[in-house]
Amino acid sequence: MSVSAPTNVGSALRRINFRELGIKLFTEYSFVLSFILLVILAATVNHNFFSWPNISNIFVQSCIIGLIALGMSMVISAGQIDISVGSQVAFIGGFGVLVLNQTGSPMIMLAFTASAGIVIGLINGLLITKGRMPSFIATMAMMGAARSLINHFGSGGPFTVNRANYEQFRQIATGSVGLFGVKVPYLMLIFIAATIIFDVVMKRTRLGKHIYAVGSNEVSARLSGVNVDAVKTATFVITGLMCGIAALLYASRTTAVAASSAAVGFELDAIAAVAIGGTAMTGGRGKIFGTFLGVLMFKIISNILTAANVSTFLNGAISAAIIVIAVLLQNFQYRKQR
Amino acid sequence: MKDIVVDFGPVRAVDHVNITIGPGEVVGLLGENGAGKSTLMNALAGAISPTHGEVVIDGSRKTVSNVKVAAQLGIRFIHQELNLCNDLKVFENMFLGEELRRPTGLLDTTTMIARCREALGRMRTHINPETVVGDLQAAEKQLVECAKALLFKSQLIIMDEPSTALTTEETENLFETMRTLKTEGVSFIYISHKMPELFEICERYYVLRDGVLVAEGKFAEVDDSAITELMIGRQLAHDVFDDHTDNTRPEVLVKAENLSGAGFEDVNFELHVGEVLAITGLQGSGCGQLADVLFGAAPFGGTLTVKGRRVRSGSNVRSFMRRGVAMVPRMRKERGIHNDLSIMDNHNMAYINARARTPWISKPAALKRYERERKSLSIKANNPANPITSLSGGNQQKIIIGKWLEAEADVLLLDNPTQGIDVGTKFEIYHLILALAKREKAIVVFSAEPPEIHKVADVCLVMFKGRVNAVLERDQITERNLMFYSTGANLRVS
Repeated sequence: MSVSAPTNVGSALRRINFRELGIKLFTEYSFVLSFILLVILAATVNHNFFSWPNISNIFVQSCIIGLIALGMSMVISAGQIDISVGSQVAFIGGFGVLVLNQTGSPMIMLAFTASAGIVIGLINGLLITKGRMPSFIATMAMMGAARSLINHFGSGGPFTVNRANYEQFRQIATGSVGLFGVKVPYLMLIFIAATIIFDVVMKRTRLGKHIYAVGSNEVSARLSGVNVDAVKTATFVITGLMCGIAALLYASRTTAVAASSAAVGFELDAIAAVAIGGTAMTGGRGKIFGTFLGVLMFKIISNILTAANVSTFLNGAISAAIIVIAVLLQNFQYRKQR
Repeated sequence: MKDIVVDFGPVRAVDHVNITIGPGEVVGLLGENGAGKSTLMNALAGAISPTHGEVVIDGSRKTVSNVKVAAQLGIRFIHQELNLCNDLKVFENMFLGEELRRPTGLLDTTTMIARCREALGRMRTHINPETVVGDLQAAEKQLVECAKALLFKSQLIIMDEPSTALTTEETENLFETMRTLKTEGVSFIYISHKMPELFEICERYYVLRDGVLVAEGKFAEVDDSAITELMIGRQLAHDVFDDHTDNTRPEVLVKAENLSGAGFEDVNFELHVGEVLAITGLQGSGCGQLADVLFGAAPFGGTLTVKGRRVRSGSNVRSFMRRGVAMVPRMRKERGIHNDLSIMDNHNMAYINARARTPWISKPAALKRYERERKSLSIKANNPANPITSLSGGNQQKIIIGKWLEAEADVLLLDNPTQGIDVGTKFEIYHLILALAKREKAIVVFSAEPPEIHKVADVCLVMFKGRVNAVLERDQITERNLMFYSTGANLRVS
C-alpha cells in the first residue's frame, strides 16, 4: 500500500524493486517514513493504539479535515492556496442545518451543501482567474465575507438541528457498518473512498496532469494547450464541493453549527496536513496518498498531545509549527536534489 | 581578466579567455550571439562567478564576488536587457541599492534628484528624474540605464549593446559622453553588432567565438569584412550541411498576409510542406512576438491561414494545436518544460490536450508513444518516470519535439531551439530538423544564430525593427547577408 495507488496494489506488489523502493522511501515517499515513526511513537505512549476502536476513531476524527485537505492538495498542487475553507464549512453548514430543519431530508441538505460549495468555489476561481487576483487575497476576502454573513444570520449563535431530525441525522457521523467482523464507521469509509477517487483523478486523468503542470510552470502549460484558467478554477470548485460535503458531516457530528466558532482554523489544519504529506507549497508536486497520511499524522499528533494533557488552546500553535517544520524539511530535501 | 573559464553545467560558455584594458581605453568586444560575450562580462561585473580564472585591477588580484563589490571597484555594467523597475521613479531606479541618506537615516531625496538631473544632463537628455520609469520610451530607458553609470565614479563601464533602441543622434550623444569620460581616465568595454559604431568609438577589438578568444587587434588595422570573417570563422573544408536538399513541395500549409502584432507589422509569407523557413532578427526586431502569434499565444491583426482555413485573432493555443501547429518555445527552462514533472508526463502533455478523446490517461499507451519517439529521435534517457531535469538540455528539447510529433503536428514552430545546448547536440537538432522536413513537416525556425540558419533554412525572413527587411533564398543565406540585413545596414544609406 505504501508503494502505489491503492487501486493497483496487486500489480504493484508483483514488480516491486526493493532497492529502488528503499531510495524512494527516503526521498519521494519520506512522509511514509515519518508516518511509521509517528505510529511507533504513538504506540509506545498509548498501549491501546493498535486496537480497532482507537484506529477507527482516528479515521473518524480525520474525515472532515481530510476531505477538505484532499481539495486543498489540488489547490496547492496547482500553485494556489485557499484559506476560505473554514469559513466555507461554517457558512454552508449553518444554512445547511436550516435546510434540513425545513425539509427533514438529509439528501436535500446534501444537494444544497454540495451546490453551495460549488458556487463558492466558482466565485473564488473566477476572482482569481478572470479577476486576476492572487489566490491568497481572493480567498481571504471569501473567508471574511462567509464568516461575517453566517454570523449575521445566526446572530453569532448556533444553528441547531431540531428534534424531529436529530436522531436520524446524527447517524451519518456516528453510524457504522459491519465489515470483516468489525464495525467500520461511515466517516472512515467516506474518507478512504474520497482519497481513492482523488488519487485516481490526480494520477490517471487529464485534469490531474494539468493541475501539476499549471503548478509547475504556467507558461509551459499554456504553450502546451492547457486551459490554465479552467484548471485553476476547477481546483477551487472541487475544494468548495469538498467543503460542502464536509459541512454536512460537521453538522451531523456536532448537531449544532456555531456561527462564530464552527470550523475555525480548519484552513490551517488542512494546509498543515497537505504540507506534512509532502506536497510542495510552490505547486507542481505532491501525492494524494501523502495528504491522506498527513491528515492521519496530524490527528495522531493531537491525540498524543491530548493524552499528555496539553491544552487544546495550543492546537493552532501546533498546526503552525507542523506547517513550518514540514516545509523547512521539504526545502532541505528539494535543495539536496538540485 | 586572466584565464577566465565559465561553465554552465556541461556547457563551457567561456574558455580560458584573457583580456586587458588600459585606462581611458575603449575596447570593442565582438562575437555572434551565444559566443560568450555577455557571460564573460557578467563574470567581470560579479553577476556570475567564473569556474576558473581571476580579475586583476591595478596590479592586484580582486575577487568580484557580487555586483556590489564590482561597483565599489568602479566597474559598472549597462545591460542589454533593461534592468529597471517600471513602478519606481527614474531617480529611485538610478540610486537603487545605493540610496543616499541623511544623517538621520532618512533618504536624501533632494540630493539624489539633483545628481540624477546632472547625470542625465551630461547625456544631453531632458528626462525628468521624477517620472515613473514605466512611462518612458524604450530609448529613454536605455539612456537612464547609461546615466546610472555616471552617478558614481567609475573606472570601467561595460556596455552591452547600448544603442539597440537609440536613434543615430542619441547614439552620437552617447559617444560624446563616452569621449569626455575617456579623457577623465574611464575605460569602456563596448559590445555591439553594429560595425560603423564600433569603428567610430573603439580603438581595439577582441573577438570571441564559441567561448574562445579567436582574435584581437586594432580597429585601425582591419576593415569590417575582415572582422565579420573573424566572428563567423572560416568555413570548414567540408560541411555536410552544404549539400542542402530542398524538400519544399507546392502545398501551402500556413499563409500570413499583412500580419501584425505587438512589436511587428506587415509580415507576409507562405509556408509549404517540407519547407524550412527561418525567421531571424536582433533583439527588439519582433521575432519572439511573431512566434507567439503564429501559435495563438498572442492577439494579431491581418490574415493568418492554416491549411486553407482562416484563423481568428484570439483563438487559443489549443485550437492551433488541433490544426496541427506545434511550438517548441524559446527559453526552454522558463517556457518549455515542467521542472517538477517526469519525463513521460512532459512528453505526454501535448497529446492529452490535442488528441486524447477521453479524460483518462492510459499509462501503457503513453509509454508506447514515448518509446516510439525515444527511438526515432534517439533520446538518451533511462527511466521515463525520472524528472525531466535529469536529462541534458538537448535531450529535454528532443522530448519537447517528440511530444508534438505524437500530437500529430505537421507545422513545427521552433523558437530558438538550440538555446543553451552544447555544440554536439546542436548538430543533432539540425539533422533532426532536416529529417523532419523530409517527413513532410513544415518547419519555422526562429533563430538569432546565423550559422544555424545557414545550416537548415530553405528561405529566411530577416526582421529589423518589426518589419521584414529582407527575404533571402537558399543561395543568398550567408552569414554576412544575415548580419547585414538584421542590423538594418541596407537602410542606413543616407
